[in-house]
Amino acid sequence: MSFITAYCHITSDSCLVNGEEIVTRDSLSNDSWLKQIYKSQEFVYPKFYKMDSLAQAGFLASELIKRAQPNLSAYQDDEIAMLFGNQYSSAESDIRFKKSYEEHGAPSPALFVYTLPNIVLGEIAILNKWFGENLFVVLPKFAPDFFVSYAKILMSKGSEAVLCGWLGIGEERSDVFLFLVEKQGNAGMEFNAGNLHKLAGFELV
Amino acid sequence: MIYIGAEEIISPLGKSAEENFSAILANRSGISLADHAGFNGDSVYISKILDLSEENKFENLITTVLNQVIIKIDNKIVSSERTVVLLSSTKGDLDNNINDQFGKTIATLTTQFNLANQPIVVSNACISGVLAINTAGNFIESGLYDHVIVIGCDLISNFVLFGFQSLFAISNQPCTPFDASRNGITMGEGCGALVISNSKMIFKEQPLKLLSGTSANDANHISGPSRTGEGLYRSVKRTMEMNDLLPADIDFISAHGTGTIYNDEMESIAFDRSNLTPIPLNSFKGYFGHTLGAAGVIETAISMQMLRNQMLIKSPGFETTGTSKELNIVKENKPANLRTILKTASGFGGGNASLLIQKI
Repeated sequence: MSFITAYCHITSDSCLVNGEEIVTRDSLSNDSWLKQIYKSQEFVYPKFYKMDSLAQAGFLASELIKRAQPNLSAYQDDEIAMLFGNQYSSAESDIRFKKSYEEHGAPSPALFVYTLPNIVLGEIAILNKWFGENLFVVLPKFAPDFFVSYAKILMSKGSEAVLCGWLGIGEERSDVFLFLVEKQGNAGMEFNAGNLHKLAGFELV
Repeated sequence: MIYIGAEEIISPLGKSAEENFSAILANRSGISLADHAGFNGDSVYISKILDLSEENKFENLITTVLNQVIIKIDNKIVSSERTVVLLSSTKGDLDNNINDQFGKTIATLTTQFNLANQPIVVSNACISGVLAINTAGNFIESGLYDHVIVIGCDLISNFVLFGFQSLFAISNQPCTPFDASRNGITMGEGCGALVISNSKMIFKEQPLKLLSGTSANDANHISGPSRTGEGLYRSVKRTMEMNDLLPADIDFISAHGTGTIYNDEMESIAFDRSNLTPIPLNSFKGYFGHTLGAAGVIETAISMQMLRNQMLIKSPGFETTGTSKELNIVKENKPANLRTILKTASGFGGGNASLLIQKI
C-alpha cells in the first residue's frame, strides 16, 4: 500500500497546498506569478532568481510540500525518488536560448543550461541533498496510470517515497501539480489512478 | 530473466549495428571537420550523418530504425497490447517545432506502426538512453509490459552546437576521452534501438541478458560534474549490489567519457571508489561523438556487439593517462572472453545511471 500524503497545485491564478489556496495571483503586480508565490511565502533561496520557470515551479511546489509534510527529512538521502513529466519539455527556455544567438548577439550559457527538462530535478536534488532515482518523461497529457505504475515500481526497488510532478507550464498557462507518495501515510489518500485523477483537478483530455 | 536484443544503430559509421561494429573494428570514426559550422563561423569537429536528407531527419531516422528492429523480432510484437515504445532524446525534432519537439514524431510512430500503447519520451539529458533501458527493464520485471522497444535519437543542430560552444565545452580536436590532452566534447548525431522482453522466443538472433540498473542524482551542480563522483559511485554500487555482482565479475566498462576535463576526472574517481579501476574500460565518444539522448542506447548496442563478437574495443584518442585515478583503458581491439559489461552515463541535471548486460 502507498499513500498520497501531500500535494500542491500552481494553476494560472492560484497556488494551493492540499487543496487549500495559499496565494492568489495579483494581476496588477509587476512580479511574475511564480515570483509572487516566492515572496508571499517568504522563501530565501537566491538561486531561485537564476532558474527558468520550470525549475522555479518545481522549487516552489516541492518546498510547499515539504512544509506540509515536514517528516520528509527522516528519510535517508537516497530513499526519495523523483518522477516528473510534462507535455512540452523545456520549450519555453529553448525559445529564449534560440533568441539569444539569433537576435541578441551570442548564445547565452546561462539560458542553455536550462534547455533540458530534467534540470528541475537537479535543482531540487541539490537543494535537498537527495541522491535518489530520477526520471523525467514527456507525455502528451498527464497520465495518472503511468505515474501510479512507475512510482510503485520505484518503491518496489528501494525508494521509500516518490516526489511526483506534472510541470505543465508555459507562457499563457500553468498546470503544475506535485504530489508526494509514501509507503506509510497517516492521513493520506490511497495512491491509485482514480484518486490521482480526482486530485489533479485539471483537464486531462 | 529479462532479455535484450535486436540492437540497431544508424550513425555516420553505418546503417546497422553490424555495419557500425565493422567500421569500428576497422578503426574508422564518424568524426570529421565541418567547415564554418560554429557560431562565429569557426570550423568544428562533429560526427554528423551526411548522406541522409536534413528534411524530417529526426522522424525518418526513428521510423527507419524501428523498421530494421522489426525485421529482427517476431513481427507481431510491435503493435501488441503488451508492447510499449520508449523514445530517449533531449532535443527531439527541435528544428521543425521548438514548441512541441516530440508530439508529431510520436503521432507518426503510433499511426504508422499501429502501436497499441502511448509511446513515452525519456528526456534526462545525457543519461536518457541508459535510463530508458533501465525503465524498460523495470516495466518488464514488474509485469506492466512484456516487451519494450527503446529508441534513442538526437541530431546536431545549431542549437546544441552553439550551446556547448557557449559553455566552452567543444573540443578543438576530435574528442580524446580520458587522455591528458582532452579539452572537450565532440558533438555527434545518431539513432540507436533495441528490444527488451520477457520472452527469448521473439528474437530471431540469440538475445543477451539485461540486468537492470539504477540512477542516482549527485545533488551537486546542474551543469558541473561532482568532484567526488558521488552520484555515479552510488548508482554503480546499487546496480552491482542489486544484481549480486562484485568488481571481479565485470569484464568491461563502457564508460560515459565525454572528453571534458571535469567529467572524465569525476568518472575516474567514481570507478576508483567502486574498486573498478583494473577492469578494461573505454569511451565510444571517439567513434560517434556525443550523441546526447541517443548515446546510452547506441553505446549499449555496440557493447552488445562486443559480447556477440567477443572483442574488446579500444578507446579512440586515448594515449596518456589524464585523470588522477588511473583507469585500464583499452588501447587496441583484441579478442577477449567477455561475459558481463557495465554501462554508465552521467549528465546535466546531476544525473548518473548504470546497467549491466550479460552473455547468456
